[in-house]
Amino acid sequence: MEKVIEVKDLSFGYTKDMILEHVNFSVQKGDFALIIGDNGVGKSTMVKLLLGVNSPTSGEILISGKKVRSLKDSRIGYLPQNGGSRAAAFPATCEEIVMSSLYKEIGFGRFAGKKQKEKVQKALALVDMEEKRKALIGELSGGQQQRVMLARVLAGDPEVLILDEPTVGVDAESVDRLLHILHHINIEKKVTILMVTHDIDKVGPFANRVLCLSEGACNEEALPQAEIIHAHAHSHPKGEGAHIHCANCEIDHVHDREHCPECRHCEAYHDHGHTHEVIREHVHPHHHDRGEVRKEEK
Amino acid sequence: MPSIFYYAYMQRALLVGFLLALLVACLGTVMVHKRLSLIGDALSHSSLAGVALGLLGGFNPVIGAMAACVVAAFAIEGIRKKLGNHSELAVAIVLSTGIGLAGVMSGFVKSSADFNSFLFGSIVAISKFETRLVIVLAVVVLFSFFLLYKELFYISFDEQAAAISGVPVGLVNAIFTILTAVTVSIAARTVGALIVSSLMVVPVAGAMSVARSYKSTIVWSAVISVSSTIGGLVLSFYCGLKPGGTIVLISVLWFLLLHIWKWAAGTKTIGKGA
Repeated sequence: MEKVIEVKDLSFGYTKDMILEHVNFSVQKGDFALIIGDNGVGKSTMVKLLLGVNSPTSGEILISGKKVRSLKDSRIGYLPQNGGSRAAAFPATCEEIVMSSLYKEIGFGRFAGKKQKEKVQKALALVDMEEKRKALIGELSGGQQQRVMLARVLAGDPEVLILDEPTVGVDAESVDRLLHILHHINIEKKVTILMVTHDIDKVGPFANRVLCLSEGACNEEALPQAEIIHAHAHSHPKGEGAHIHCANCEIDHVHDREHCPECRHCEAYHDHGHTHEVIREHVHPHHHDRGEVRKEEK
Repeated sequence: MPSIFYYAYMQRALLVGFLLALLVACLGTVMVHKRLSLIGDALSHSSLAGVALGLLGGFNPVIGAMAACVVAAFAIEGIRKKLGNHSELAVAIVLSTGIGLAGVMSGFVKSSADFNSFLFGSIVAISKFETRLVIVLAVVVLFSFFLLYKELFYISFDEQAAAISGVPVGLVNAIFTILTAVTVSIAARTVGALIVSSLMVVPVAGAMSVARSYKSTIVWSAVISVSSTIGGLVLSFYCGLKPGGTIVLISVLWFLLLHIWKWAAGTKTIGKGA
Protein backbone atom coordinates (compact mmCIF):
# COMPACT_ATOMS: atom_id res chain seq x y z
CA MET A 1 0.00 0.00 0.00
CA GLU A 2 1.12 3.51 -0.78
CA LYS A 3 2.20 5.50 2.27
CA VAL A 4 0.53 8.92 2.31
CA ILE A 5 1.93 10.14 5.63
CA GLU A 6 5.28 9.00 7.01
CA VAL A 7 6.60 10.23 10.34
CA LYS A 8 10.19 9.16 10.86
CA ASP A 9 11.97 9.43 14.22
CA LEU A 10 10.24 12.73 14.93
CA SER A 11 11.04 14.77 18.04
CA PHE A 12 9.63 18.17 18.89
CA GLY A 13 9.45 20.60 21.79
CA TYR A 14 8.53 24.26 22.08
CA THR A 15 11.32 24.55 24.69
CA LYS A 16 14.16 22.18 25.59
CA ASP A 17 11.57 19.80 27.04
CA MET A 18 10.41 17.51 24.28
CA ILE A 19 6.66 17.02 23.79
CA LEU A 20 7.18 14.31 21.18
CA GLU A 21 10.20 11.99 21.15
CA HIS A 22 11.30 9.57 18.44
CA VAL A 23 7.81 9.18 17.05
CA ASN A 24 7.37 6.83 14.10
CA PHE A 25 4.19 6.00 12.24
CA SER A 26 2.75 5.95 8.80
CA VAL A 27 -0.71 6.31 7.30
CA GLN A 28 -1.51 4.47 4.11
CA LYS A 29 -3.73 5.46 1.23
CA GLY A 30 -7.38 4.83 2.09
CA ASP A 31 -6.79 4.61 5.84
CA PHE A 32 -9.23 6.13 8.32
CA ALA A 33 -6.69 6.60 11.12
CA LEU A 34 -7.25 8.08 14.55
CA ILE A 35 -4.77 9.81 16.85
CA ILE A 36 -5.86 9.43 20.45
CA GLY A 37 -4.28 10.33 23.78
CA ASP A 38 -4.79 12.30 26.97
CA ASN A 39 -4.95 16.09 27.06
CA GLY A 40 -1.54 17.71 26.61
CA VAL A 41 0.25 14.72 25.12
CA GLY A 42 0.87 16.57 21.88
CA LYS A 43 -1.99 15.55 19.57
CA SER A 44 -2.62 19.05 18.26
CA THR A 45 1.14 19.65 18.15
CA MET A 46 1.44 16.59 15.94
CA VAL A 47 -1.21 18.07 13.63
CA LYS A 48 0.67 21.37 13.47
CA LEU A 49 3.83 19.45 12.55
CA LEU A 50 1.97 17.51 9.87
CA LEU A 51 0.62 20.77 8.45
CA GLY A 52 4.05 22.39 8.48
CA VAL A 53 2.98 25.09 10.94
CA ASN A 54 5.81 23.97 13.26
CA SER A 55 9.07 22.34 12.19
CA PRO A 56 10.37 19.17 13.86
CA THR A 57 13.33 19.52 16.23
CA SER A 58 14.65 16.32 14.66
CA GLY A 59 13.35 13.65 12.33
CA GLU A 60 11.15 14.21 9.32
CA ILE A 61 7.61 14.05 8.03
CA LEU A 62 6.80 13.02 4.49
CA ILE A 63 3.41 13.77 2.95
CA SER A 64 2.90 11.85 -0.29
CA GLY A 65 6.66 11.38 -0.41
CA LYS A 66 7.47 15.08 -0.05
CA LYS A 67 9.00 16.69 3.01
CA VAL A 68 6.41 18.57 5.01
CA ARG A 69 8.14 21.84 4.12
CA SER A 70 6.58 21.56 0.68
CA LEU A 71 3.11 21.03 2.08
CA LYS A 72 1.67 23.93 0.09
CA ASP A 73 2.12 21.77 -3.02
CA SER A 74 0.45 18.69 -1.58
CA ARG A 75 -3.20 17.82 -1.54
CA ILE A 76 -4.08 18.04 2.14
CA GLY A 77 -7.32 19.25 3.64
CA TYR A 78 -7.40 20.41 7.27
CA LEU A 79 -10.43 20.81 9.53
CA PRO A 80 -9.39 22.54 12.78
CA GLN A 81 -10.84 22.04 16.24
CA ASN A 82 -14.02 24.10 16.72
CA GLY A 83 -13.62 25.30 13.14
CA GLY A 84 -17.33 25.87 12.83
CA SER A 85 -17.81 27.86 16.01
CA ARG A 86 -14.75 29.99 15.28
CA ALA A 87 -16.28 30.83 11.93
CA ALA A 88 -19.61 31.70 13.53
CA ALA A 89 -18.65 35.29 14.28
CA PHE A 90 -17.61 35.89 10.68
CA PRO A 91 -20.27 37.56 8.51
CA ALA A 92 -19.92 35.31 5.50
CA THR A 93 -22.26 32.97 3.63
CA CYS A 94 -21.58 29.23 3.42
CA GLU A 95 -20.78 29.72 -0.28
CA GLU A 96 -18.20 32.44 0.42
CA ILE A 97 -16.52 30.29 3.07
CA VAL A 98 -16.32 27.18 0.90
CA MET A 99 -15.00 29.23 -2.02
CA SER A 100 -12.06 30.39 0.11
CA SER A 101 -10.55 26.90 -0.03
CA LEU A 102 -10.13 27.13 -3.81
CA TYR A 103 -7.47 29.78 -3.49
CA LYS A 104 -4.71 27.82 -5.21
CA GLU A 105 -6.96 26.98 -8.14
CA ILE A 106 -8.14 30.57 -8.60
CA GLY A 107 -4.72 32.16 -8.13
CA PHE A 108 -3.32 35.35 -6.65
CA GLY A 109 -5.26 38.49 -7.52
CA ARG A 110 -7.82 36.62 -9.67
CA PHE A 111 -11.53 35.90 -9.25
CA ALA A 112 -13.56 32.70 -9.10
CA GLY A 113 -15.11 31.41 -12.34
CA LYS A 114 -17.97 29.08 -13.23
CA LYS A 115 -15.84 25.96 -12.59
CA GLN A 116 -15.04 27.02 -9.03
CA LYS A 117 -18.67 27.94 -8.34
CA GLU A 118 -19.74 24.45 -9.47
CA LYS A 119 -17.12 22.88 -7.18
CA VAL A 120 -18.52 24.84 -4.24
CA GLN A 121 -22.06 23.60 -4.99
CA LYS A 122 -20.83 20.01 -5.21
CA ALA A 123 -18.92 20.25 -1.93
CA LEU A 124 -21.96 21.69 -0.15
CA ALA A 125 -24.13 18.95 -1.65
CA LEU A 126 -21.69 16.32 -0.39
CA VAL A 127 -22.29 17.45 3.20
CA ASP A 128 -26.02 17.99 2.58
CA MET A 129 -25.81 21.76 3.01
CA GLU A 130 -26.66 22.88 -0.53
CA GLU A 131 -29.91 24.51 0.55
CA LYS A 132 -28.07 26.66 3.08
CA ARG A 133 -25.52 28.03 0.62
CA LYS A 134 -26.74 31.62 0.93
CA ALA A 135 -27.15 31.46 4.72
CA LEU A 136 -24.76 33.24 7.05
CA ILE A 137 -22.60 30.68 8.84
CA GLY A 138 -23.33 32.39 12.17
CA GLU A 139 -27.01 31.54 11.79
CA LEU A 140 -26.41 27.78 11.55
CA SER A 141 -26.27 25.20 14.34
CA GLY A 142 -22.89 23.90 15.54
CA GLY A 143 -23.25 20.69 13.57
CA GLN A 144 -24.23 22.53 10.38
CA GLN A 145 -21.30 24.92 10.80
CA GLN A 146 -18.94 21.97 11.13
CA ARG A 147 -20.38 20.44 7.94
CA VAL A 148 -19.85 23.70 6.06
CA MET A 149 -16.26 23.74 7.28
CA LEU A 150 -15.90 20.17 6.03
CA ALA A 151 -17.33 21.21 2.66
CA ARG A 152 -14.74 23.97 2.57
CA VAL A 153 -11.99 21.40 2.97
CA LEU A 154 -13.57 18.96 0.50
CA ALA A 155 -13.99 21.58 -2.23
CA GLY A 156 -10.23 21.45 -2.77
CA ASP A 157 -10.41 17.69 -3.63
CA PRO A 158 -7.91 16.66 -0.93
CA GLU A 159 -6.23 13.27 -1.03
CA VAL A 160 -5.64 13.41 2.71
CA LEU A 161 -7.98 14.92 5.27
CA ILE A 162 -6.59 15.89 8.69
CA LEU A 163 -9.20 16.66 11.32
CA ASP A 164 -8.47 17.99 14.80
CA GLU A 165 -11.25 16.89 17.18
CA PRO A 166 -14.12 17.66 14.79
CA THR A 167 -16.73 16.23 17.17
CA VAL A 168 -16.00 18.63 20.05
CA GLY A 169 -18.93 20.90 20.89
CA VAL A 170 -21.26 19.18 18.42
CA ASP A 171 -24.48 17.40 19.49
CA ALA A 172 -24.75 13.61 19.24
CA GLU A 173 -26.99 13.58 16.17
CA SER A 174 -24.70 15.97 14.29
CA VAL A 175 -21.64 13.92 15.28
CA ASP A 176 -23.32 10.82 13.87
CA ARG A 177 -24.13 12.63 10.62
CA LEU A 178 -20.62 14.06 10.34
CA LEU A 179 -19.04 10.64 10.86
CA HIS A 180 -21.23 9.05 8.21
CA ILE A 181 -20.25 11.78 5.77
CA LEU A 182 -16.58 11.17 6.58
CA HIS A 183 -17.10 7.42 6.19
CA HIS A 184 -18.68 8.00 2.78
CA ILE A 185 -15.81 10.25 1.70
CA ASN A 186 -13.27 7.70 2.92
CA ILE A 187 -14.91 4.77 1.14
CA GLU A 188 -16.44 6.31 -1.98
CA LYS A 189 -14.03 9.16 -2.67
CA LYS A 190 -10.97 7.22 -1.45
CA VAL A 191 -9.86 10.12 0.75
CA THR A 192 -7.34 9.13 3.43
CA ILE A 193 -8.44 10.44 6.82
CA LEU A 194 -6.32 11.18 9.90
CA MET A 195 -8.39 12.37 12.84
CA VAL A 196 -7.34 13.55 16.29
CA THR A 197 -10.12 12.62 18.69
CA HIS A 198 -11.11 11.93 22.27
CA ASP A 199 -14.38 10.45 21.09
CA ILE A 200 -13.07 6.93 20.50
CA ASP A 201 -16.41 5.28 21.25
CA LYS A 202 -18.20 7.12 18.48
CA VAL A 203 -15.39 7.43 15.95
CA GLY A 204 -13.69 4.08 16.56
CA PRO A 205 -16.17 1.99 14.53
CA PHE A 206 -15.44 4.07 11.43
CA ALA A 207 -11.65 3.81 11.65
CA ASN A 208 -9.25 1.08 10.65
CA ARG A 209 -6.20 2.29 12.54
CA VAL A 210 -5.57 3.91 15.91
CA LEU A 211 -2.39 5.70 16.96
CA CYS A 212 -2.06 6.51 20.64
CA LEU A 213 0.16 9.38 21.76
CA SER A 214 1.44 8.84 25.26
CA GLU A 215 4.40 10.23 27.20
CA GLY A 216 5.86 11.81 24.09
CA ALA A 217 5.69 8.69 21.98
CA CYS A 218 3.27 7.24 19.47
CA ASN A 219 1.93 3.73 19.99
CA GLU A 220 0.25 1.82 17.23
CA GLU A 221 -3.00 0.34 18.48
CA ALA A 222 -5.55 -2.06 17.12
CA LEU A 223 -9.28 -1.62 17.31
CA PRO A 224 -10.58 -5.00 16.15
CA GLN A 225 -14.19 -3.99 15.67
CA ALA A 226 -13.19 -0.90 13.76
CA GLU A 227 -11.05 -2.87 11.35
CA ILE A 228 -13.92 -5.26 10.73
CA ILE A 229 -16.29 -2.44 9.86
CA HIS A 230 -13.79 -0.70 7.67
CA ALA A 231 -13.04 -3.93 5.86
CA HIS A 232 -16.76 -4.71 5.72
CA ALA A 233 -17.51 -1.44 4.04
CA HIS A 234 -14.87 -2.16 1.43
CA SER A 235 -15.88 -5.74 0.77
CA HIS A 236 -19.69 -5.45 0.76
CA PRO A 237 -20.82 -3.04 -1.88
CA LYS A 238 -24.37 -1.75 -1.64
CA GLY A 239 -27.05 -4.05 -3.05
CA GLU A 240 -25.24 -7.30 -2.47
CA GLY A 241 -28.39 -8.73 -0.90
CA ALA A 242 -27.07 -10.54 2.20
CA HIS A 243 -29.38 -10.59 5.24
CA ILE A 244 -27.98 -8.96 8.35
CA HIS A 245 -29.39 -9.07 11.83
CA CYS A 246 -29.19 -5.74 13.64
CA ALA A 247 -28.38 -6.47 17.27
CA ASN A 248 -29.55 -3.03 18.30
CA CYS A 249 -33.17 -3.11 17.09
CA GLU A 250 -33.49 -6.89 16.60
CA ILE A 251 -34.55 -6.67 12.95
CA ASP A 252 -33.30 -8.68 9.99
CA HIS A 253 -32.83 -6.62 6.85
CA VAL A 254 -31.30 -6.96 3.44
CA HIS A 255 -27.76 -5.69 3.40
CA ASP A 256 -28.32 -3.01 0.80
CA ARG A 257 -27.01 -0.11 2.85
CA GLU A 258 -24.24 0.56 5.28
CA HIS A 259 -26.46 1.08 8.30
CA CYS A 260 -29.55 -0.46 9.80
CA PRO A 261 -32.55 1.35 8.23
CA GLU A 262 -34.46 1.22 11.53
CA CYS A 263 -32.00 2.51 14.07
CA ARG A 264 -29.16 3.73 11.80
CA HIS A 265 -26.64 1.77 13.83
CA CYS A 266 -23.96 0.13 11.80
CA GLU A 267 -25.19 -3.45 11.45
CA ALA A 268 -21.73 -4.89 11.00
CA TYR A 269 -20.68 -3.50 14.32
CA HIS A 270 -23.56 -5.17 16.12
CA ASP A 271 -23.58 -8.22 13.88
CA HIS A 272 -20.11 -9.07 15.04
CA GLY A 273 -21.20 -8.54 18.60
CA HIS A 274 -18.36 -6.27 19.63
CA THR A 275 -18.62 -3.92 22.55
CA HIS A 276 -16.72 -0.66 22.93
CA GLU A 277 -14.02 -2.51 24.80
CA VAL A 278 -10.69 -1.68 23.27
CA ILE A 279 -7.78 -4.05 23.05
CA ARG A 280 -4.66 -1.95 23.05
CA GLU A 281 -1.50 -3.14 21.42
CA HIS A 282 1.36 -0.95 22.51
CA VAL A 283 4.43 -0.83 20.38
CA HIS A 284 7.62 0.31 21.98
CA PRO A 285 8.06 3.87 20.65
CA HIS A 286 11.77 3.67 20.12
CA HIS A 287 11.70 0.30 18.41
CA HIS A 288 8.84 0.37 16.01
CA ASP A 289 8.85 -3.35 15.67
CA ARG A 290 5.73 -5.46 15.64
CA GLY A 291 7.73 -8.14 17.47
CA GLU A 292 7.76 -6.01 20.59
CA VAL A 293 4.02 -5.67 20.89
CA ARG A 294 2.53 -6.04 24.34
CA LYS A 295 -1.18 -6.28 24.91
CA GLU A 296 -3.39 -4.96 27.63
CA GLU A 297 -7.13 -4.90 28.08
CA LYS A 298 -8.85 -1.63 28.78
CA MET B 1 -27.07 81.24 3.68
CA PRO B 2 -25.33 80.26 0.41
CA SER B 3 -25.29 76.64 -0.77
CA ILE B 4 -22.62 74.31 0.62
CA PHE B 5 -21.34 73.84 -2.95
CA TYR B 6 -20.71 77.56 -3.36
CA TYR B 7 -17.44 77.39 -1.44
CA ALA B 8 -14.37 75.74 -3.02
CA TYR B 9 -13.10 74.55 0.38
CA MET B 10 -16.41 72.77 1.03
CA GLN B 11 -16.31 71.12 -2.41
CA ARG B 12 -12.83 69.81 -1.55
CA ALA B 13 -14.02 68.73 1.92
CA LEU B 14 -16.95 66.78 0.43
CA LEU B 15 -14.74 65.07 -2.17
CA VAL B 16 -12.00 64.18 0.32
CA GLY B 17 -14.55 63.11 2.93
CA PHE B 18 -16.31 60.85 0.40
CA LEU B 19 -13.07 59.16 -0.71
CA LEU B 20 -11.64 58.71 2.79
CA ALA B 21 -14.94 57.35 4.10
CA LEU B 22 -14.90 54.77 1.32
CA LEU B 23 -11.29 53.73 2.04
CA VAL B 24 -11.69 53.61 5.79
CA ALA B 25 -14.82 51.43 5.46
CA CYS B 26 -13.03 48.89 3.22
CA LEU B 27 -9.94 48.70 5.43
CA GLY B 28 -12.03 48.75 8.62
CA THR B 29 -14.01 45.69 7.51
CA VAL B 30 -10.82 43.65 7.24
CA MET B 31 -9.46 45.00 10.54
CA VAL B 32 -12.59 44.25 12.52
CA HIS B 33 -12.69 40.69 11.20
CA LYS B 34 -9.01 40.20 11.91
CA ARG B 35 -9.99 41.04 15.52
CA LEU B 36 -7.86 44.18 15.36
CA SER B 37 -10.62 46.76 15.88
CA LEU B 38 -8.39 49.01 17.95
CA ILE B 39 -5.55 49.11 15.43
CA GLY B 40 -6.96 52.37 14.10
CA ASP B 41 -6.57 53.88 17.58
CA ALA B 42 -2.97 52.68 17.85
CA LEU B 43 -2.04 53.98 14.40
CA SER B 44 -3.78 57.33 14.73
CA HIS B 45 -2.12 57.96 18.10
CA SER B 46 1.23 56.91 16.68
CA SER B 47 0.65 59.31 13.78
CA LEU B 48 0.58 62.13 16.35
CA ALA B 49 4.12 61.22 17.34
CA GLY B 50 5.08 61.54 13.67
CA VAL B 51 3.27 64.88 13.43
CA ALA B 52 5.19 66.19 16.44
CA LEU B 53 8.43 64.92 14.89
CA GLY B 54 7.60 66.68 11.62
CA LEU B 55 6.79 69.94 13.36
CA LEU B 56 9.99 69.72 15.43
CA GLY B 57 12.16 68.62 12.50
CA GLY B 58 10.79 71.25 10.15
CA PHE B 59 9.38 68.84 7.53
CA ASN B 60 5.81 68.16 6.41
CA PRO B 61 3.95 66.71 9.43
CA VAL B 62 1.85 64.48 7.09
CA ILE B 63 5.05 62.76 5.96
CA GLY B 64 6.05 62.34 9.61
CA ALA B 65 2.62 60.91 10.40
CA MET B 66 2.87 58.46 7.47
CA ALA B 67 6.32 57.25 8.56
CA ALA B 68 5.20 56.85 12.19
CA CYS B 69 2.08 54.94 11.11
CA VAL B 70 4.04 52.54 8.89
CA VAL B 71 6.55 51.84 11.72
CA ALA B 72 3.70 51.40 14.23
CA ALA B 73 1.75 49.09 11.91
CA PHE B 74 4.73 46.81 11.33
CA ALA B 75 5.51 46.89 15.06
CA ILE B 76 1.95 45.65 15.74
CA GLU B 77 2.35 42.82 13.22
CA GLY B 78 5.75 41.88 14.67
CA ILE B 79 4.63 41.95 18.32
CA ARG B 80 1.37 40.15 17.44
CA LYS B 81 3.31 37.18 16.09
CA LYS B 82 5.57 37.05 19.17
CA LEU B 83 2.72 37.20 21.70
CA GLY B 84 0.79 34.19 20.36
CA ASN B 85 -2.44 33.80 22.35
CA HIS B 86 -2.17 37.35 23.72
CA SER B 87 -1.66 38.93 20.32
CA GLU B 88 -4.31 41.61 20.98
CA LEU B 89 -1.87 43.17 23.48
CA ALA B 90 0.30 44.27 20.56
CA VAL B 91 -2.21 47.01 19.72
CA ALA B 92 -2.26 48.26 23.33
CA ILE B 93 1.55 48.30 23.53
CA VAL B 94 1.96 50.29 20.31
CA LEU B 95 -0.93 52.61 21.23
CA SER B 96 0.71 53.38 24.59
CA THR B 97 4.09 53.96 22.95
CA GLY B 98 2.47 56.31 20.41
CA ILE B 99 0.67 58.31 23.09
CA GLY B 100 3.83 58.49 25.20
CA LEU B 101 6.01 59.71 22.35
CA ALA B 102 3.37 62.17 21.09
CA GLY B 103 2.86 63.53 24.62
CA VAL B 104 6.57 64.08 25.26
CA MET B 105 7.38 65.52 21.82
CA SER B 106 4.32 67.81 21.71
CA GLY B 107 5.80 69.58 24.72
CA PHE B 108 8.60 70.87 22.48
CA VAL B 109 6.30 72.00 19.62
CA LYS B 110 6.06 75.81 19.63
CA SER B 111 2.73 76.13 17.80
CA SER B 112 0.18 73.99 19.63
CA ALA B 113 -2.50 75.01 17.08
CA ASP B 114 -0.69 73.01 14.36
CA PHE B 115 -0.54 69.96 16.59
CA ASN B 116 -4.20 70.27 17.66
CA SER B 117 -5.33 70.42 14.03
CA PHE B 118 -4.12 66.80 13.72
CA LEU B 119 -5.91 65.78 16.89
CA PHE B 120 -9.35 66.84 15.73
CA GLY B 121 -8.69 67.29 12.00
CA SER B 122 -9.37 70.19 9.71
CA ILE B 123 -11.34 68.79 6.81
CA VAL B 124 -12.59 72.23 5.79
CA ALA B 125 -9.02 73.54 5.56
CA ILE B 126 -7.66 71.02 3.07
CA SER B 127 -5.23 72.32 0.48
CA LYS B 128 -5.32 71.46 -3.23
CA PHE B 129 -2.14 69.39 -2.73
CA GLU B 130 -3.79 67.34 0.02
CA THR B 131 -6.88 66.84 -2.18
CA ARG B 132 -4.71 65.43 -4.98
CA LEU B 133 -2.87 63.25 -2.45
CA VAL B 134 -6.17 61.76 -1.23
CA ILE B 135 -7.35 61.10 -4.82
CA VAL B 136 -4.13 59.22 -5.63
CA LEU B 137 -4.34 57.34 -2.34
CA ALA B 138 -7.97 56.39 -3.01
CA VAL B 139 -7.14 54.96 -6.44
CA VAL B 140 -4.19 52.93 -5.08
CA VAL B 141 -6.02 51.62 -1.99
CA LEU B 142 -9.27 50.75 -3.76
CA PHE B 143 -7.43 49.01 -6.62
CA SER B 144 -5.28 47.03 -4.16
CA PHE B 145 -8.30 46.17 -2.02
CA PHE B 146 -10.22 44.93 -5.08
CA LEU B 147 -7.20 42.92 -6.28
CA LEU B 148 -6.54 41.37 -2.85
CA TYR B 149 -10.21 40.93 -1.90
CA LYS B 150 -10.03 37.13 -1.94
CA GLU B 151 -6.72 36.98 -0.07
CA LEU B 152 -7.86 39.46 2.59
CA PHE B 153 -11.12 37.54 3.06
CA TYR B 154 -9.25 34.28 3.54
CA ILE B 155 -6.65 35.77 5.94
CA SER B 156 -9.36 37.49 8.00
CA PHE B 157 -11.34 34.27 8.18
CA ASP B 158 -8.50 31.90 9.08
CA GLU B 159 -4.91 33.07 8.76
CA GLN B 160 -3.39 29.65 9.45
CA ALA B 161 -5.57 27.87 6.90
CA ALA B 162 -4.82 30.65 4.42
CA ALA B 163 -1.09 30.09 4.84
CA ILE B 164 -1.51 26.32 4.41
CA SER B 165 -3.52 26.93 1.23
CA GLY B 166 -0.66 28.91 -0.26
CA VAL B 167 -1.88 32.47 0.30
CA PRO B 168 1.22 34.68 0.61
CA VAL B 169 0.07 35.78 4.07
CA GLY B 170 3.22 37.76 4.89
CA LEU B 171 3.11 39.72 1.62
CA VAL B 172 -0.63 40.41 1.77
CA ASN B 173 -0.42 41.47 5.43
CA ALA B 174 2.52 43.77 4.63
CA ILE B 175 0.64 45.42 1.73
CA PHE B 176 -2.47 45.80 3.89
CA THR B 177 -0.41 47.23 6.76
CA ILE B 178 1.17 49.88 4.51
CA LEU B 179 -2.19 50.81 2.94
CA THR B 180 -3.76 51.14 6.39
CA ALA B 181 -0.90 53.17 7.79
CA VAL B 182 -0.91 55.62 4.87
CA THR B 183 -4.72 55.94 4.94
CA VAL B 184 -4.80 56.55 8.69
CA SER B 185 -2.07 59.18 8.55
CA ILE B 186 -3.82 61.12 5.78
CA ALA B 187 -7.26 60.67 7.34
CA ALA B 188 -5.84 61.97 10.63
CA ARG B 189 -4.95 65.23 8.88
CA THR B 190 -8.48 65.63 7.56
CA VAL B 191 -10.98 64.15 10.04
CA GLY B 192 -8.55 64.01 12.98
CA ALA B 193 -6.51 61.29 14.67
CA LEU B 194 -9.08 60.79 17.41
CA ILE B 195 -11.93 60.30 14.94
CA VAL B 196 -10.41 58.14 12.20
CA SER B 197 -10.31 55.09 14.44
CA SER B 198 -14.02 55.45 15.23
CA LEU B 199 -14.81 55.64 11.52
CA MET B 200 -12.91 52.39 10.98
CA VAL B 201 -15.01 50.44 13.45
CA VAL B 202 -18.48 51.94 13.97
CA PRO B 203 -19.75 51.64 10.34
CA VAL B 204 -18.55 48.01 10.24
CA ALA B 205 -20.34 47.26 13.52
CA GLY B 206 -23.52 48.76 12.08
CA ALA B 207 -23.11 46.86 8.80
CA MET B 208 -22.72 43.52 10.58
CA SER B 209 -26.20 43.81 12.01
CA VAL B 210 -27.87 43.90 8.59
CA ALA B 211 -25.45 42.40 6.07
CA ARG B 212 -26.21 38.98 4.58
CA SER B 213 -22.69 38.19 3.32
CA TYR B 214 -19.08 39.37 3.61
CA LYS B 215 -19.46 41.34 0.38
CA SER B 216 -22.60 43.06 1.62
CA THR B 217 -20.84 43.85 4.93
CA ILE B 218 -18.30 45.87 2.95
CA VAL B 219 -21.05 47.58 0.91
CA TRP B 220 -23.08 48.44 4.02
CA SER B 221 -19.95 49.71 5.82
CA ALA B 222 -19.19 51.95 2.86
CA VAL B 223 -22.78 53.23 2.73
CA ILE B 224 -22.82 54.03 6.47
CA SER B 225 -19.35 55.56 6.41
CA VAL B 226 -19.95 57.74 3.32
CA SER B 227 -23.42 58.88 4.40
CA SER B 228 -22.13 59.72 7.90
CA THR B 229 -19.24 61.74 6.47
CA ILE B 230 -21.29 63.66 3.91
CA GLY B 231 -24.15 64.09 6.40
CA GLY B 232 -21.72 65.27 9.07
CA LEU B 233 -20.13 67.83 6.76
CA VAL B 234 -23.49 69.20 5.62
CA LEU B 235 -24.85 69.36 9.16
CA SER B 236 -21.71 70.98 10.53
CA PHE B 237 -21.80 73.58 7.71
CA TYR B 238 -25.40 74.62 8.32
CA CYS B 239 -25.49 74.20 12.11
CA GLY B 240 -22.00 75.47 12.94
CA LEU B 241 -20.87 72.15 14.49
CA LYS B 242 -17.38 70.58 14.56
CA PRO B 243 -17.29 68.33 11.46
CA GLY B 244 -15.17 65.44 12.88
CA GLY B 245 -17.34 64.88 15.93
CA THR B 246 -20.57 65.28 13.93
CA ILE B 247 -19.42 62.61 11.42
CA VAL B 248 -18.70 60.09 14.17
CA LEU B 249 -21.96 60.78 16.01
CA ILE B 250 -23.97 60.22 12.82
CA SER B 251 -22.22 56.85 12.32
CA VAL B 252 -23.07 55.93 15.93
CA LEU B 253 -26.69 56.92 15.22
CA TRP B 254 -26.64 54.62 12.16
CA PHE B 255 -25.36 51.80 14.39
CA LEU B 256 -28.14 52.33 16.95
CA LEU B 257 -30.91 52.61 14.36
CA LEU B 258 -29.79 49.47 12.53
CA HIS B 259 -29.66 47.49 15.77
CA ILE B 260 -33.10 48.73 16.81
CA TRP B 261 -34.43 47.82 13.35
CA LYS B 262 -32.83 44.38 13.57
CA TRP B 263 -34.23 43.85 17.06
CA ALA B 264 -37.69 44.90 15.88
CA ALA B 265 -37.46 42.62 12.86
CA GLY B 266 -36.22 39.74 15.03
CA THR B 267 -33.16 39.04 12.91
CA LYS B 268 -30.53 36.76 14.43
CA THR B 269 -27.17 38.17 15.43
CA ILE B 270 -24.09 36.86 13.63
CA GLY B 271 -22.19 34.46 15.86
CA LYS B 272 -25.10 33.37 18.04
CA GLY B 273 -25.75 30.23 16.01
CA ALA B 274 -29.10 28.58 15.44
